[in-house]
Amino acid sequence: MISVRNLVKHYGSHVAVDDLSFEVEKGSVVGFLGPNGAGKSTTLRILSGFLGRTAGEVTIDGHQVDTYDAKRATGYMPEAVPLYPEMRVVEYLRFRAELKEVPRKDRRPFVDLAMERARVTDVATRTIGDLSKGYRQRVGLADALVAKPPLLILDEPTAGLDPNQMREVRDVIKGLGKEHTVLLSTHILSEVEASCDEVVVINKGKLVARGTKEEIQKKRRSAGLSFVVRGDKATCVRVLTQSGSFGKITTTPDAQDPALLNAEARWKKGLAEPGLATEAAVAALLGAGLFVRSVTVEKSTLEDVFAELTRAAVPTSADAVEPEQEDE
Amino acid sequence: MRGFWPILKREVFTFFVTPLAWVLICVFLLVQGMHFYLLVDHFSNQAEVISDQTPLQAFFGNTVLLYLVLFLLVPPITMRLFAEERRSGTVETLLTAPVSPAAVVLAKYVSALVTYVSMWAPTVLYLVILNRTGPIDWHVASAAYLGVFCVGAGYLSLGLLMSALTKSQFLALILTAMCIMGLFILGVGEFVTHEGQTLHDVCAHVSVWAHMNDFGSGIIDSRRLVFYGSIVALSLFCTTRVVDSWRWGDA
Repeated sequence: MISVRNLVKHYGSHVAVDDLSFEVEKGSVVGFLGPNGAGKSTTLRILSGFLGRTAGEVTIDGHQVDTYDAKRATGYMPEAVPLYPEMRVVEYLRFRAELKEVPRKDRRPFVDLAMERARVTDVATRTIGDLSKGYRQRVGLADALVAKPPLLILDEPTAGLDPNQMREVRDVIKGLGKEHTVLLSTHILSEVEASCDEVVVINKGKLVARGTKEEIQKKRRSAGLSFVVRGDKATCVRVLTQSGSFGKITTTPDAQDPALLNAEARWKKGLAEPGLATEAAVAALLGAGLFVRSVTVEKSTLEDVFAELTRAAVPTSADAVEPEQEDE
Repeated sequence: MRGFWPILKREVFTFFVTPLAWVLICVFLLVQGMHFYLLVDHFSNQAEVISDQTPLQAFFGNTVLLYLVLFLLVPPITMRLFAEERRSGTVETLLTAPVSPAAVVLAKYVSALVTYVSMWAPTVLYLVILNRTGPIDWHVASAAYLGVFCVGAGYLSLGLLMSALTKSQFLALILTAMCIMGLFILGVGEFVTHEGQTLHDVCAHVSVWAHMNDFGSGIIDSRRLVFYGSIVALSLFCTTRVVDSWRWGDA
């Protein structure tokens, strides 16, 4: 559906996208993941035809990007979800449908369907300027959907929403995957887990990794454990080190209760069975006469995943995220 | 020209659902009404017609009020067209729809023109009123309206270009007003330079005062049409290039 080959984008002397290549298959929901400033929005803007590119080949559904055919095949929702505040929702969507060359007789049913799918039917006659952020976000989504394009490009569709609204938008997106190819960008890992089948990870304008959701999730499974322990600090550190499962161990005395000790232990690289290692570590601590108040599994952050993915040149265990490209 | 109609419809719609349009129309009609009243009063108080001009001629260009109205009217009509889209970011959704930049520019320009014409339309009533007291030369009146249309078309195209150059509506307003003023002042130069100088010829050629006097007397000079036609064509071309250039920078 989308084919990006050796895409480069410069802003003056700043390189926003650096030799990026990836493909998106028809019918998949792909998460475009990266920290802020990684070049996600720039890439999506190029795909939408809004920005020009410095070099590289981009095709959408077989059409060169920035042509009528490519634009007609794409429903694009920009990051800030810009809308015309003075229009009513239904007026706006009819305008967008006409602009996107939906034939006159189809316009009403298409607009109705888009409103239904984006769940904005109840505010159809409200003025857009009066809507809440969550509704506006969904009006933007309805706009992307209205001409039933085969490809949807959504730039941070849940940015700035509260958790309830986020869940609603994610649910909507999940439903869209059945009929559309979806490429959505985000910097939140859990969002990818919630709505995507595949992930493309970029950082500093370069492709870091790509793989299925499961492969990325594996990376994220667990970064380490954090214990709250009552007992001697030196013993605690010794026992955890001896268990052989951990790399870095840091301890801090508890702020409220001086008798308690907070210990954070990161798994060793390439640890195969964190579950078993957790059991062993707890048993060892108890065996050494320490009392364990709580054990928390620390999920890795996006940064951890990046660190792991960029290291993935050295193959580890059963994980199969293939680094397609390394820094030159 | 894909996207021309829907954008034109939306622009006209937007103009008339915002208070700005109605304020502008009110002010415009108020000033024009006063203008008309003063002229009628002036001419009716003359015992015998010794003036070499008719009320019609006076109305279209021989008092400074016409130009004042143009300065007040044109910049607010055009300031919003691109500046607001860029400030709010809607230009991104607009240009990623299957439209061509030329169609966007032309649609916005025609919408400004439609607005401008609809503001002038009620002033035809003055002529109808005048017609009850004495015959009106409708040919001259038509030429005068053609003049108003040409001058407006030229100014609006400049306003559109200025609106595309900045993200700030206010700046677009100021820039447009400066352009129009500049042209006007250059035209006034006709009266302060000496005949025979190149500068004099240039000033006389761009003088909106002279243009409107011609049109108001029923003279349709092709030089005037070419002049305003060139302004419109050049401005619209530049605007299209500016819109195109947003792809390469920070819109």
